[in-house]
Amino acid sequence: MTTQIYDIVIVGSGISGSIVAYELGRQGKKVLILEAGQEVPVDRSGYMSTFFKANAKTPESPYPPTTQDPKQSTPENPLGLPNPSLENVPRYTVLQIGAWRKPDQCYFTYPPQAPNLKTDSPEAVFAFGSSYERIGGGTTWHWLGTSLRLFPSDFELKTRYGHGVDWPGGKTFYQGLVPYYEKATNEIGVAGDKVALDKIYQQFGVEPSGTYGPNYNYPMPPIVESLVDTAFGELQNVTVDGINLFTTPTPQGRNSLPGDRRQCAGNTNCIPICPIQAKYDATVTLANALQTGNVEIRYRTVASNIRVDDKSGKVIGIDYITYDDHLGDKTGTGTAVGTTYLLAAHAIETPRLLLMSNKNKNFPNGVANSSDQVGRNLMDHVMYLAWALAKDPIYAYRGPLSTSGFESLRDGTFRSNRSAYRIEIGNEGWQWASNDPYTTLADFVFGQNNTQLNGDSKNQQGKPLRFDPSLPANSTLFGAQLTQTLNAIYIRQIRLGYLIEQLPDPDNRVQLSATAKDHLGLPRPYVTYRIRSNYERDAFVSAKAVSTQIFNAMGATEYTMKPPSPVLYGTPDQVTATNFDYKGDTFTFYGAGHIVGTYRMGDKKETSVLNSRQQSWDHSNLYMVGSGVFPTVATGNPTLTIAALAFQAADNILKDLNAPKTNTGAEQTAVDAS
Amino acid sequence: MNSDMDNFIGLSAVLTGFNESVIAPDLDPVDIKSVYLPLFTQKIAQESGNPSLTSQIFQKFESLQASKLTPQQIGQAMLDSTNGEAFVLACRKLIFMWYAGAWPTVIPATATTQASTVSDIISEDAYTSSLVWQVMQSHPMGDSNYRYGYWAKDPVPLSDYTGNPGGQS
Repeated sequence: MTTQIYDIVIVGSGISGSIVAYELGRQGKKVLILEAGQEVPVDRSGYMSTFFKANAKTPESPYPPTTQDPKQSTPENPLGLPNPSLENVPRYTVLQIGAWRKPDQCYFTYPPQAPNLKTDSPEAVFAFGSSYERIGGGTTWHWLGTSLRLFPSDFELKTRYGHGVDWPGGKTFYQGLVPYYEKATNEIGVAGDKVALDKIYQQFGVEPSGTYGPNYNYPMPPIVESLVDTAFGELQNVTVDGINLFTTPTPQGRNSLPGDRRQCAGNTNCIPICPIQAKYDATVTLANALQTGNVEIRYRTVASNIRVDDKSGKVIGIDYITYDDHLGDKTGTGTAVGTTYLLAAHAIETPRLLLMSNKNKNFPNGVANSSDQVGRNLMDHVMYLAWALAKDPIYAYRGPLSTSGFESLRDGTFRSNRSAYRIEIGNEGWQWASNDPYTTLADFVFGQNNTQLNGDSKNQQGKPLRFDPSLPANSTLFGAQLTQTLNAIYIRQIRLGYLIEQLPDPDNRVQLSATAKDHLGLPRPYVTYRIRSNYERDAFVSAKAVSTQIFNAMGATEYTMKPPSPVLYGTPDQVTATNFDYKGDTFTFYGAGHIVGTYRMGDKKETSVLNSRQQSWDHSNLYMVGSGVFPTVATGNPTLTIAALAFQAADNILKDLNAPKTNTGAEQTAVDAS
Repeated sequence: MNSDMDNFIGLSAVLTGFNESVIAPDLDPVDIKSVYLPLFTQKIAQESGNPSLTSQIFQKFESLQASKLTPQQIGQAMLDSTNGEAFVLACRKLIFMWYAGAWPTVIPATATTQASTVSDIISEDAYTSSLVWQVMQSHPMGDSNYRYGYWAKDPVPLSDYTGNPGGQS
């Protein structure tokens, strides 16, 4: 047992935990943060060095522990993925998606496919598409920076369109969130174009008076749009489901002017890592929190169990395990004690901790889990990617990774029939879509055709794709012809990404593996993940058709490849991870990095883990923050909403802490929920 | 007689399409060529089983260069199939190494898959020095020397990146 009793014990030092720590610390409250991962480094040069040397520059590649070691490559483990059972703080990485059926390479474990499923079966399970970090500062190290609000309609999907669920209070939830959206926008330092955003908000009838908050503006002027954006901005008269398509500059958490952090220099590397911290990350807020003098953080301290008092139902302590070396033995154990507790460990590790805490008499199924909702409704924005070559140079691979998107399709009557999406415009050429620049390079150096640019390929609309018809198929180039061909291709590469709204599905869930453990002996996640409804799958059909429509309208040549047919049964190397058939076509989905929904808020104790205060229905001094609280994944990137909800939770916790001693947490809940 | 380094740089310039002044500038604090030459020599010997293959490549280049051929003619002669498969593949790997800062492994086609390439990054400097970012008139992802807003303007011509006139921009 620690001797000091804190006002609050927080698990996790990402954006949510850091915001609450800062808000409470500056009010004089004593805060302890338990962070499972390694310390925030003195500077980011070590992470940059790891990134530069990484073969696969995935979102996690700069960060410890290492995502792959080519020296450990074997025929069974060609990428040299680390064995998660030997790691104290393993996490899921996108390289593990291809190894999802190999528990000695993949942190998550998965259920087997049910027998005899067809490749278009809604019951087929997939690998989860998105990853997160377990380090000081959390996953905002590798976030994109997109800082969009959700719309009132996002909060009442059930009421308006008959799908999913409403957020507590429906669209009134949005109104309650507006002042916190403003705080979040200021904390992140969002660069945004109010006029352009007003247009979208007005289209979607955001109240009051068509604006989204009194005296609202962005703390930074908008980031200038890229030449790629400009090419899409010239689209005219393209409509989808009766809605006009137009681009909107994206509000972004990166400096358009020098300030406390540097001005964006367009490193085109927001994910995995901004080398100059022009992009906000939670280490900014964490540093502010620590500077209050009231916040203490313990790194390499893994929360392993939550203790609950049998009589009062209140949390009385969080057990933890410490380690020094990531692969070494544990170095100690202890229990952190506070008046209140906050779980801020993101949407995989938070439910894992709740489910591991199964030794309390009245909560045998895990802490905060009387509803059996903990771990359920795991969601992501399932992504459809489309890519093409523009008619004229648009100079890809320059600027922040994304500076504009199509926001106008985020709401409409079509939402009764299919999932909504926003379309992100990529400035990174075919890097994500096709592992370029390396695939195109190899094609023209070695005479291969994996991009379809150097062979007899036709696109899905039957158009021949050989880049230079005067060259033979499988050309091998050198010298001036190589520089000119590569240049002409790279500077025309465009990519669209559709962030499709996945519905809450109680069977998409995080459970605990019965067999697989990490090196501390803690059970690893067991993840069931499907894309079960036609509502979601029809959005893929729409996205594919819309891409072709957009590319045709701008005179671009589409190169989107039809993915390989799904293989549901076979050896771990034979089965596919994210492919499905639907309506006679084959799709693959990508993760958006938006892990959502596993400890949701709701109006009823029976169907949710938290009330609208983000307070556990079961334990009045236990709060949770992060995207795990979202009842739906909605239509915008989640981080701004995550931050806003953290500010809101901080206010709720402060109210509890400042309440007269006679006032119990339960009474406080009744007052605030009215 | 040229040194191995002279031949290595001369051949690299011919094959990559980048000027010697770009890939091996007079003032060269990174000096990536001094990493690449021994690595190339060692890898080619190891992969071909022929410890003298690099020398043969350099000798051929030196004799072609002495005969006052154009870079285009020298490149064609170096990559001609009559030189043998291992010889040509070594030259192609040299191109890939300069462009990617990585050493490639070519995976042959099978009954169900196309031929493809995987590669290992050689070093931090190799990544940040790799030519593929220059040929797209940009910067290595994560290592920009440009200033805010450059992405809203056209870049300077390709020839400014390759050091060779005649490249399209």
